[in-house]
Amino acid sequence: MSAPAVTHRPVRQIDWLAVGALVVVVLLALFALVPGWIAPYDPIKLDVVNRLKPPSLAHPFGTDEAGRDIFSRVIHGTRYSMGVAIAIVASAAIFGTLYGTISGMAPRWLDNIMMRIVDLVFGFPALVLALAISAAIGRGLDSVTLALSLMWWPGFARLVRGEVLRLRNEPHVEAARALGLGQVRVMQRHVVPFVMGAVNVRATTDIGYALVAVTALSFLGLGATSPTPEWGLLIRDSRPYFGSAWWYLVFPGGIVMLTATAFSLLGDALDARSGR
Amino acid sequence: MMLEVKGLTVSFRGRDGDLTAVDGIDFAVEEGETFVIIGESGSGKSLTGMSVVGLTPEGAIVDGSIRFAGREVVGQPDRVMRKVRGREIGIVYQDPLGALNPVHRIGDQIAEAMTTHGIASGKEAVTRAVDLLRAVRIPDPERVARYYPHEISGGMRQRAVFAMALACRPKLLIADEPTTALDVTIKAQVLDLMRELQDEFSLTVLLITHDMGVVAEVADRILVMYAGAVAEVGPADLLMDRPAHPYTSVLLASAMVSEAEPQSELQVVPGGTPALGQMPDGCRFHPRCPRATDLCRRDEPKLREIGGAQVACHHPLTEIAEEPA
Repeated sequence: MSAPAVTHRPVRQIDWLAVGALVVVVLLALFALVPGWIAPYDPIKLDVVNRLKPPSLAHPFGTDEAGRDIFSRVIHGTRYSMGVAIAIVASAAIFGTLYGTISGMAPRWLDNIMMRIVDLVFGFPALVLALAISAAIGRGLDSVTLALSLMWWPGFARLVRGEVLRLRNEPHVEAARALGLGQVRVMQRHVVPFVMGAVNVRATTDIGYALVAVTALSFLGLGATSPTPEWGLLIRDSRPYFGSAWWYLVFPGGIVMLTATAFSLLGDALDARSGR
Repeated sequence: MMLEVKGLTVSFRGRDGDLTAVDGIDFAVEEGETFVIIGESGSGKSLTGMSVVGLTPEGAIVDGSIRFAGREVVGQPDRVMRKVRGREIGIVYQDPLGALNPVHRIGDQIAEAMTTHGIASGKEAVTRAVDLLRAVRIPDPERVARYYPHEISGGMRQRAVFAMALACRPKLLIADEPTTALDVTIKAQVLDLMRELQDEFSLTVLLITHDMGVVAEVADRILVMYAGAVAEVGPADLLMDRPAHPYTSVLLASAMVSEAEPQSELQVVPGGTPALGQMPDGCRFHPRCPRATDLCRRDEPKLREIGGAQVACHHPLTEIAEEPA
C-alpha cells in the first residue's frame, strides 16, 4: 500500500515514559507562561544575607552567591531558555521545509546546487558562527538565536527533500499532475501535508537538542547576560562555587537534562504513533 | 482523428548507451472509439499512454510525433501540457486508492479538477462534483462527496476517480489498467460504467491493459504490443476471432477467452519479455515463438496488411495456405 491509509490499530499499552515526558513539557509550559504564579521569590532581587544556602523548605534548590532563590531563577529562566530553543527550531523547520520542498521538486542541477549549500552549512562549525555573530551584533540571546537558526535548518531541508523525492512518485501525486495541477499546487496540496508528520517529529526532538545548544553557548558566555536567569548562564555562574555549593550547579543542570530528555522521548512517541 | 501517433520512441539514457522502451510505434485513434493497447508488463504500453499527456517518468526521452486533435504534443513544455491534462484528456490510473489523496474529501478532489482549469469555482464546483458522482452511479452522492477515500469501497473509489477524470468533460479518456486492482465482479461493473460514460460524455477511450478479458468487453480496435513494438493492430472482432500474429494467439489462449475450445488447457506463454538492451536480433518474439524460422532470427518483420489487420510477422497464422516456400 502506497498512500498512508487510516487503519485501526489494536489498543496499545500506555507509554508511561511518553506520559511522563508530556507532564514535564506541560509543567515547563506553565513555568514559561506564568512564572510568577509558581516561583516563590523574585528571581533578580538580591538577598545577600542568605547567600549560598543549601536546599531547604524555604529554598528547595538553595540560593546563589547573591542570595537569590535558585528554584525561582530556574522557573523564570524557562521562558528564556525554552523560548530561544523553540524559536530556533520553529524558524529552522519553516525555512528548512520550504527549502527542502523546492529542492525536491527542482530540476536536478538546481537540486544539486541547493544540496551542496546544505552540505556547506552542515560543515560549518556552529560555535565559530556564534562567536562571529556575537562579535558583530553583541552577545546576548538574540545573537544565539540568530546563529543557531542559521545552523539548524539544513537538517530539516534534507529530511523534507528526501520525503518529497519519495512522495512525488506516489500515485496520488501522479494523479494530481494528471489533472493538470501546477507544480506549486501539487506540492502544496498533495506532497507537503504528508511531509509534516516527519517534520513534527523532528522538530519535537530537536527542541531538546536546541536547548542544550543554547545553554552551552550561554555557558560559554556568548548568550544571555546577567542577571537574566537563563539556564546556561546559571550553570556558568555556578562554576566558582561548585566545590562548596553543589546545588547551584546540580539543579539548573538537572532541569536542562530533564527537559532535553522529555522532548527527545516525546519525539520518539510521536514517531511511534505516526507508525513509521 | 483524435490521436495520431507516428514513430513514437521512448528511450532512457543508460550507462551503456540508450535503452529503448518504445521503439517507433504508429497508431491512430479515431473519434468515439475504444482503442485498446494490450501487452505484458514491460511491453511499453503504459509509457506509450503517458507520452500522450507528457507524463513520462523523469529521464525518458520521447521522440517521434503524437498529434492530439491535430496539435503536436511531443516536445511541448509542461505549462502547455498542463492545460491539456485533465481539461482535454482525462486520465484514470490503476490504483484507485493511491490515486486519491487520503487527506482530502472526495468532493473537494473532484472540485479541484474543475477549479484548476477555471471551469467552476467554490460552491459551484462542489455542486458539480456531486453531479459527477451521480453520473458515475454513486448512490447518495451528497454524502459520498463529504467522505474521505478510505471511507468508501474499492469500486466506489474507482468510480470517484472516473468522476475526477471526467470533471472537465475531456474529449479523450486514457485509462491505464483501470480494473487491475479490482475484483472480478467490480471489474465488470466498472467496465459497464466506462462504456455508458463513453456514450454520455461522447468520449474517445484509450485503454491500456494486459487483460484480454477486458479487451473482449469493450474494445473496438486493438493494438498488441510486444517488447516496445507493435505486433498486431486491427479491429477487435478480427483479432479475437482470427489472430494473425502468434503472440496475439498465445495471449488469447492464455486468457482462455476463446470460446471455441472450452475444454482446452490453460496455456502459458513460455519465457518472458526480453530485457531492454538485450533485444534479440530479427523478430523480437522469435525466442518464444513456436513458428520461428531462420528468417525470423535474422530479419525484423515490418508491419503489413493481412486480412484487415496490420501484422508484424513473417509467418502469420492466417496466411498458412498462401505462404511462400
